[in-house]
Amino acid sequence: MTQTPAAPSPEPQAMPLWRRLLGYIFDVRVLGVLGQMVFIVLVVLGVRTIGSNFADNAQRLGESQFICRDGNFSYRCAYDFMESESGFDIADTMIDHTNTDPYWKSFQVGVLNTLKVAIFGVILTTLLGTVMGIARLSNNWLISKIALWYVELMRNTPLLIQIFFIYFGVILTAPELNDALQPLGLPMFISRRGLNLPSLEFTSSASIWIAFLVLAAIQFQVTWVMLGRREERTGQASNRLQTGLIAFFLIAGLGWYVSSAVSDSQGLLVTKASRVRELGDLEKIMLQRTGANHLDDLARMPEEEVEDAAFQICAIEESASETNLTRQLSKLNVPYQIRRYERPDKATDSYASEKCEMFVASKTILAAERSTLESPSSHLILSVKEVPVVWSLPKREGLNLVGGSRMRPEFTALLLALVLFYGSNLAEIVRAGILAISKGQNEAARALGLTEGQRLQLIVLPQALRVIIPPGIGVALSLAKDTSLGIAIGFPDMYAVSYTTMNQSGRVLQLFVLIMLVYMLISLAFSVLLNWYNEKIKLVER
Amino acid sequence: MTTNEELTTPKAIGRGFNWQLFLQDNLTGSWMQTVTVLLLAIITGSYVYGKYEELPIVTAVVVALWILGIVSIIVSEIFHKPTAVSRWLKQNLLTSFANSLLTLFVVLVLVSAVNGIWQWSYVNANFNPAETAPEFRSANGATWGVLWGARKLLMTGWLEPIHSWRVWLGLGFILIMWLFTYITSRPALKEKLRVARMVLNGFWLLSPVVLYILLAGISEGAYNVTGTITGVAVLGAIYALLWSQKVIPFSWGSIIGTVVAWPLLYTIWWFIGNSGQFPPIDPDKWGGLLLTLIIASSVIVLAFPLGMILALARRSEVFGVPAWLIWPVAVAATLWGFTTTPELLATSRNLVEQIMSFWPVIILAIAYMIHRVFNGNIVAGVGTTFIELIRSVPLITLLFMGIVMAPFFSGEGVSIPKPWLVIVGYTLFSSAYMAEAIRGGLQAIPKGQYEASDALGFNGSQKMRFIILPQALRIVIPAIVGQFIGAFKSSSLVSIVGLFDFLGINRSIVSNPAWLGLRLELYVFMAIIYFTGSFLMSSYSRKLEVQLGLGDR
Repeated sequence: MTQTPAAPSPEPQAMPLWRRLLGYIFDVRVLGVLGQMVFIVLVVLGVRTIGSNFADNAQRLGESQFICRDGNFSYRCAYDFMESESGFDIADTMIDHTNTDPYWKSFQVGVLNTLKVAIFGVILTTLLGTVMGIARLSNNWLISKIALWYVELMRNTPLLIQIFFIYFGVILTAPELNDALQPLGLPMFISRRGLNLPSLEFTSSASIWIAFLVLAAIQFQVTWVMLGRREERTGQASNRLQTGLIAFFLIAGLGWYVSSAVSDSQGLLVTKASRVRELGDLEKIMLQRTGANHLDDLARMPEEEVEDAAFQICAIEESASETNLTRQLSKLNVPYQIRRYERPDKATDSYASEKCEMFVASKTILAAERSTLESPSSHLILSVKEVPVVWSLPKREGLNLVGGSRMRPEFTALLLALVLFYGSNLAEIVRAGILAISKGQNEAARALGLTEGQRLQLIVLPQALRVIIPPGIGVALSLAKDTSLGIAIGFPDMYAVSYTTMNQSGRVLQLFVLIMLVYMLISLAFSVLLNWYNEKIKLVER
Repeated sequence: MTTNEELTTPKAIGRGFNWQLFLQDNLTGSWMQTVTVLLLAIITGSYVYGKYEELPIVTAVVVALWILGIVSIIVSEIFHKPTAVSRWLKQNLLTSFANSLLTLFVVLVLVSAVNGIWQWSYVNANFNPAETAPEFRSANGATWGVLWGARKLLMTGWLEPIHSWRVWLGLGFILIMWLFTYITSRPALKEKLRVARMVLNGFWLLSPVVLYILLAGISEGAYNVTGTITGVAVLGAIYALLWSQKVIPFSWGSIIGTVVAWPLLYTIWWFIGNSGQFPPIDPDKWGGLLLTLIIASSVIVLAFPLGMILALARRSEVFGVPAWLIWPVAVAATLWGFTTTPELLATSRNLVEQIMSFWPVIILAIAYMIHRVFNGNIVAGVGTTFIELIRSVPLITLLFMGIVMAPFFSGEGVSIPKPWLVIVGYTLFSSAYMAEAIRGGLQAIPKGQYEASDALGFNGSQKMRFIILPQALRIVIPAIVGQFIGAFKSSSLVSIVGLFDFLGINRSIVSNPAWLGLRLELYVFMAIIYFTGSFLMSSYSRKLEVQLGLGDR
């Protein structure tokens, strides 16, 4: 780079000075550098023109955009407005959000929604794409043709039409909530209001169990590595996966029992007069109330009578405590009825006015609520046994569906369309990856006497993945970017939330910078992942 | 195989049917297989039962056919006389237990799906364009009349009917051009009609201008003399550049043609404009399929050359700006920038602003990037940055930026119709992807080709024009056509930013009382049109690949 440009002539001495100077100037390298400098000057001038246009227009069109609180004009106040109240509600939120929250909070909700769609989408697309890619190569003619038509149909129509079609044609033509479809009797419901699915709910003891899970994962890794070393040292084959999994599940199971035994955070508020001292007492009381000899006799009694006798329980909406308690009550076979309230104080009011006999929540909430009652000493907080993770199933209650988690129609439609569309792209990549393995590799593996499992695990997968993963990451990135299409059906992702913010505040530029930054961070993350993978799998060439 | 061996292995494969081997192959090979087959049997059985209650005749026929197929295979196996049908069935549909069950299941699912679509789209459907209002519609049938009723909106949007002849003329022009191109490219006529083909190519080059005149129109105006002289100068300069790089040979005919072309064409343009036959049409009136085609084809036409320039820029091997030139300039700029820091620091209100006060560090970072990552090659640096920036954001943000931000960055009092803004944003987006596709082709050319052309004494432009690009572009035809298809399909995104393209126009159609809520019919129709367009393009690309012998070398 520091080397001086050489004259093209072999005998510079024979030439007059001006020819030699001309030779220096017309050297390709010198011209190149000069050209690049002119280029840079042009770029800077172009940026300056646009910038000065912007400054003029900012003064004229959007003077209010850069006004600080104290009324001065300054570019540094560009994002001050983000701290003021947003004033709009967001339908689909993962964190609590009300319309009095600042714009920052709304933006955060949008980013989380984008990530939610992207993560679920990538997971489901991987599954669908793999299945469809393999189906394309199926020896069943019908299956491979269906997979082919699926891929062709999805790849040759715009994603946006697919989103609209699924939203308006599939989701919004589903039945109303009160006669939601229940496919194959599974605990899931499809209705115009979205998709109700079973979900996991974490009680407060879950943190202990998760710590145990981490330990178990470490144990798995340790077992894996140690057995691998022994294998290398002695040549003695061992089933590393199986041993590791056994170790993992031993510790995870131990953690389950420890965490449910140790923790004591779930409570049930009852009056002393009710004579309930532990959950087991409920059975006796129920038998007294109904006059039955055994709880199984309740099934033979008239329904209204059982309903009258059922325990009335207050709970807070969408709390794990409720799922935890009802699971145990169903096990005891005791009839009960739940009333759900948005806030603890409303549930307490209801409890105090004896609309319900019990109030279930975590002990800290109950202790706080008990002190607000008229005579705190006449109420007891019972301990309710808890498990770290409760499986909450959706079920019908009257005209409504309770329990589980509900995916909103917009989310369902967007997710479904993205998965179907990018699944078709991934299917082609998977198919190409599998076809890229030469026949000889498979034949050689069989000749070596590897079992089918070993052949797939040791020969086919490592080579196919090398071809599949780089473009696969590209598909994941496109999917993450195309979550922005959710705005077309009103899914509040980052782009849609920013769009609303723009319309309300008129700050277009600021929000665009923010959107671009977030998307660039996402693609940066993906490209870091890609580079890391490429570095890892790079063939060692001689 | 000796007789002895045959005696000791009586159950050898190929010597008749062996039920033990058959069971092992199909059912008892491993516990996984057993479970899979049993599970499939249960699912298929319950599904058949459920379907039988819903559609008894069809289900019975399907199951009967399925059993017939299995019986035919068994019979042909027993008598060692496979027919064409039974062999095909055995190889493709009824390969094993699991596959046979899967086939039955899938056929039943397909039958009920096809039946549902048939019921909706034909049996219960209403085809009368006059009967599209809600009171005429059947409960679960399509109302196809909307397609005919709304045909004008679907095709040309809000374009005034007095202008529709211009659209027809444009369509006719393109069709006739295609027809002639098809005829002249027949192998038998290819040599005889050389001149005709050259004229045709000239018309293809002019076709954007012709279509612009037809669809956008020209306003009347004074003869622009300076513009004409500038045009001649630009064309002449391009000619001189190409000639000096020895990419085109010098000939008097071509230089006269270059000099005359611009004034001639401009004069024709000016006459057409002043004749008043083609008054300007407001581009915001474009809509429907017309707008989709205008956007898609402009983007395709513009993004290809821009993408090529970007790809060449990214891979350019220009001698980089030396470090002794980069660093002093960068340090001087940084120092100059730091003079603003004390004031910024003094007025900063929070930590973020304090950190931002040290903004001149960015200049050093850029200098480092130019020096280290790009070896001082600024052309490659700018190309790479542009491509990567564009590729990291979704298309819709660029489209929106084109529409919303343009007034901020353009001069005062300039108002540009929406379609142009969208085309600019979309072209930037598409060219970045096109550049990556072309770069793939450039990288695929073996190094020997570059070295050989250097050894033959080709200069940079000649190397690209005669050696590298012809090979590279041929390799990336599938990728480029893929980008074209993407541009065609994704042009539907402009409906989100408020344009009434083929997809966006249905907003106005379904809000019309006569067609209220007839979304599905429109979506199906649009999907069919998009599918046809994309499918034609991809099959043309496959044909082109075969013609060019791609993959044979």
